[in-house]
Amino acid sequence: MSAAAPEPKANMGQPVPRYDAREKVTGVARYASDQQVSQPAFAFLVTSAIARGDITSIDERGAREVPGVLDIFTHRNTDDLTQTKYGQQGGGASTSIQGLGPEIRHDGQIVAMVVADTFENAREAAYRLKIGYSEATPSASFESAGTEMKDANGIMSVATQAKEWLSTGDVEDALSKAAVTVDAEYSTPTQHHNPIELFTTTCSWQGDKLTIYEPSQFVFGLKNAVAERIDVAPDNIHVVSPYVGGAFGSKAQMTPRTGLVAYAARKVGRPVKLVATRDQGYTISTYRAETRHHVRLGSDRDGRLVAYSHEGFEITSRPDSYSVKGTEETAHLYSFGAVATKVNVVHADRNTPGFMRSPPVVPYVYALESALDELAVKLRMDPVELRRKNDGMKDSFGKEWSSRSLMTCYDQAAEAFGWSKRNPEPGSMRDGEWLVGWGCATAVYPTHNAASAARVSLRSTGEALVQIAVHDIGTGAYTVIGQLVASELGVPVEKVRVELGDTLLPAGPVAGGSVTTAAAGSAVLKACAQIRTRLIGGASSGDGAPLAGVPDGQIRLREGRAVAQDGRSEELAKLFERLGQNQIEEYAEFVPAGASSNAMERLYQGKPTFVGGSNGEKLMYSLGAEFVEVRVNQRTREVRCPRAIGAFAAGRILNTRTTHSQLMGGMIWGIASALHEKTELDEKRARYVNDNIAEYLIPVNADIRDIDIILVPEIDNEVNPVGVKGLGELANVGTAAAVANAVYHATGIRIRDLPVRIEALLA
Amino acid sequence: MGFSMSQSEKPGGLNRRSFLTATAMGATLPVIQQARAQQAESAPADPRAPVDVKLRINGRDQSLRLDARTTLLDTLREHVGLTGSKKGCDQGQCGACTVLVDGTRVLSCLTLAVMAQGSEITTIEGLASSDGALHPMQQAFIDHDAFQCGYCTPGQIMSAVACVNEGHAGTNDDIREYMSGNLCRCAAYPNIVAAINQAKNEMRKA
Ligand code: FES
Ligand code: FES
Repeated sequence: MSAAAPEPKANMGQPVPRYDAREKVTGVARYASDQQVSQPAFAFLVTSAIARGDITSIDERGAREVPGVLDIFTHRNTDDLTQTKYGQQGGGASTSIQGLGPEIRHDGQIVAMVVADTFENAREAAYRLKIGYSEATPSASFESAGTEMKDANGIMSVATQAKEWLSTGDVEDALSKAAVTVDAEYSTPTQHHNPIELFTTTCSWQGDKLTIYEPSQFVFGLKNAVAERIDVAPDNIHVVSPYVGGAFGSKAQMTPRTGLVAYAARKVGRPVKLVATRDQGYTISTYRAETRHHVRLGSDRDGRLVAYSHEGFEITSRPDSYSVKGTEETAHLYSFGAVATKVNVVHADRNTPGFMRSPPVVPYVYALESALDELAVKLRMDPVELRRKNDGMKDSFGKEWSSRSLMTCYDQAAEAFGWSKRNPEPGSMRDGEWLVGWGCATAVYPTHNAASAARVSLRSTGEALVQIAVHDIGTGAYTVIGQLVASELGVPVEKVRVELGDTLLPAGPVAGGSVTTAAAGSAVLKACAQIRTRLIGGASSGDGAPLAGVPDGQIRLREGRAVAQDGRSEELAKLFERLGQNQIEEYAEFVPAGASSNAMERLYQGKPTFVGGSNGEKLMYSLGAEFVEVRVNQRTREVRCPRAIGAFAAGRILNTRTTHSQLMGGMIWGIASALHEKTELDEKRARYVNDNIAEYLIPVNADIRDIDIILVPEIDNEVNPVGVKGLGELANVGTAAAVANAVYHATGIRIRDLPVRIEALLA
Repeated sequence: MGFSMSQSEKPGGLNRRSFLTATAMGATLPVIQQARAQQAESAPADPRAPVDVKLRINGRDQSLRLDARTTLLDTLREHVGLTGSKKGCDQGQCGACTVLVDGTRVLSCLTLAVMAQGSEITTIEGLASSDGALHPMQQAFIDHDAFQCGYCTPGQIMSAVACVNEGHAGTNDDIREYMSGNLCRCAAYPNIVAAINQAKNEMRKA
């Protein structure tokens, strides 16, 4: 055991190394752009130089002079591409802005694609393409004239199906009577996923059959959306995506490039490969939109909350109403008393935002957890004790939690952190020229579930194969699915082969909403149970069966044998031989309670269904407590984060190693969202300025020091058959508030606009 | 060995030094003219005409005809079929394309293939021994779960090997600093530091 592979506690599985580890450290793993196709042509995108207006001219002459140019695709020769439906809920397209013009709806919109025999020629020709525009003044963001604000009520968001804003009691009355109140505004910036793998697509036609190699978090979604876009039968499309080089939500939907590449490959009559540039990635896919928040909290003198009001504002594109509506999650987090929530979307001349790791909770929990810290300061109360005071198994709406280990997380993390040594006075803790600040906040993420199918087979040799079109985007899905099969069928994990990320496999849900293990795992359990039934039925009957007559319920599959309670057993190979088979294969479909009866059919059509979170009979959430230390240099105001500790409870843990990595990576994401990440916007041109990964600050190794993860045992048998709550999107929630709260503790300066920058601390 | 390759063996008489000198003088043209001259004495220089490039990659010689603008990264990925080196930015910001050139870590996206002639190029595919035994750094990355999606990993591992060989893996702070040219969006950083600490001892023993 090591820090990376913690000792399992109760209800936790072994930290077996990643299934795909060897492929990944030897360079053998074939990501989409690594797939070898014969004689590919290369595509290069041209994106718009303005944010709003029209294309007035296209001069292709210079571009066509470049030898090797096969074709140039613009709005003039692509109008038979179908406008597909925008899929705010995950299926379908990431935006309704799909055409290549002539109307320009945002900066960096794809306006042309050049296809040539080599990458070098395609790139040169793309630079030579001359596009003329008539430009109108764009509206960039909240501050700009010409935006349009709408109440987001009734607009479905993926995580929440609320039609009405959550409210209970009379918030205004409760606030007016509250002994202590906080009334504050917060903001979070534009952020881009920036997975290290670029947005690539390779399309190859064999007759009327299309193969798409693209990193995807939802191969069935992509297959069906592309089918609609290029008007072919979905059955003729095969999406291959066994490895994804980071995604974080950016590869969950069909973006405009895919249909275009498929279309081009058909036109030029050979495979076409596109590797979009890093800067193009900022506008041809989605992002986390900037948000604003008005939060009001009221409590009595002892810190018991009596009112919570939260109004959010989110930027979106002109035509699409993407919004994350995190109040649907925050409103359940504590026993608030009266609650009032509302979210508005603000339409601007921007590309359509989309899912980015923990979409609803990251901005909204930041605002709430910051406001709680402000309340604790006003109450002169320890922020942990304030959370304890308002912790409870029922929310303000009378709904119960399936399980809630929040305060256990707080207590274990506080203990490990040394929180009891904290002097609450701002600026009171120093180390030489460094002001030391300690802060904490809650992490929370809804436990979703979704429909999934799975196929499992077991051979007489004890080798097993499991196939599901879910996706390992770095999460460890290959590994934990293999572990589940191994333990269900009683075979060693090394003997389980796992195939994921391919539309030839049984359908699985989008790798979103931290749903993969719950959904795929439930389907795997079902398929394994079917195999066990057949095997065990055979073991207990038939001539010469060593276990003849043993009731089926008393036979288990263990270590490659069927074993009765009394210790008698039969080897798998013998059992198969007696059954006259050398393998048993079972296909299973799992549809969670609360999902529509046609959820499986819809899944095969590329439409995801989500249940869980706050939508079921009980509240189902993963929870955690995060503590961070910041050091602010007294003179330069440089902010460092030398250590962070998080304790998390997320039901059953299948593998402590992959879990640890997910949570550790998540906390680093959280630190980054507090201290580093912001896509800067040119307000005048509605254009992203730092659209590269040197100027868009993602943490480098030297930014990160000690990150400690504590896994808190928790058992919850209500969430789903596997008992897992989902944790890929848990640990980056709340961290930004913990950091900002620590900065306040260090300096006495309350930062309400992320990221925390030196200039704000110089005041 | 690339080290022992004599000047005369270098295709087109082109080596890194003369190429760099040429560019330093603000003229890349002579290079291309040289290459071009091999094919047609009198025709006007066509800057896009393919050039013959000889590379030694993972101990094997490769003869290629390439557009002179082809980067070492695209050469590996698109022309040699070695896709272990990754393109994460194509502009020297992420480190996913890191390979070793004569033992030194180099960003292959910022290196033209023609510049790498006469050198020994090692990619992630050339790190494990031919019998399949992993390099200690590869094993350490597995042991410490020093990756998630794995996309930055080939670059991290090549960089880590060089970091140790450079003598920059003495302390955790050194490792963090000298590994900061390799971005990991999955944020496996603490595990990468742990992996390098494990591997550096084994590399010393070896
Ligand atoms: S691809 Fe070379 S540094 Fe990013
Ligand atoms: S492992 Fe995903 S970017 Fe490093």
